[in-house]
Amino acid sequence: MNVAIKSITEQRDFVVSSSSLKEVRSFSREVFEKVNINQDLKDELVLAIAEAAQNIVKHAYQGEDTDDKMEIKISLEKGHLEIGFFDKGRPVEEKNVRHRKIDDIKPGGLGTFFIQQIMDAVVFKEGEKPWINHLVLTKNLNS
Amino acid sequence: MSYKVTEEGNISTVHLDGEIDMDVTEKAKEIIMPLIEAKKEVHLNLKEVQYMDSSGISVLIESHQKATELGTKVVLKEISKSVLKVIMMAKLEQILNLD
Repeated sequence: MNVAIKSITEQRDFVVSSSSLKEVRSFSREVFEKVNINQDLKDELVLAIAEAAQNIVKHAYQGEDTDDKMEIKISLEKGHLEIGFFDKGRPVEEKNVRHRKIDDIKPGGLGTFFIQQIMDAVVFKEGEKPWINHLVLTKNLNS
Repeated sequence: MSYKVTEEGNISTVHLDGEIDMDVTEKAKEIIMPLIEAKKEVHLNLKEVQYMDSSGISVLIESHQKATELGTKVVLKEISKSVLKVIMMAKLEQILNLD
């Protein structure tokens, strides 16, 4: 697929809350509207971003009420998409992040499974101050 | 998310509308679970659901499992393209009752 797009870098802060997820999707849709990729792929990328944001609410903050913000940064350069998530919640250990087994039919663990299905790579990093967690999702949109 | 429930015999049809994410899953469960607990056959009409994430899929799984446990069933009707895609991504098309 020829992405035929100039480079994009857009970022936005959101309150860490399930009520922000709609805004997260709106922001993501706005960004991908500027990219020449098919609608199915746009929908998948929006889902991956919303699932990662949901994981911050659910796991890094364990659903607690907070005024803290999370930051989402979407960058596209020569067809290489990188989406960064920054939060100040509990440190996430990569070894504890598991998706459900595919034949294990139960609620939960699906969000991470979706992210891994959609993206090429999922990398957890230690956040640089003031952030605690920094998650990076990448995908090559040229393939 | 908004909803409407219609009843016909032992079948309750829940018409869901809008986007189903973590923010509305409790509300969705509050609508669906009492119908299952009343041993109704529950039809979920998903024609007007434009977006569903893993939280919404979890509601479908929990509803299906609860219904099976109580000897009734949940049938997904008129599934929108975007919801069907997520169900298939979760590889649940053979597990849930799709109509």
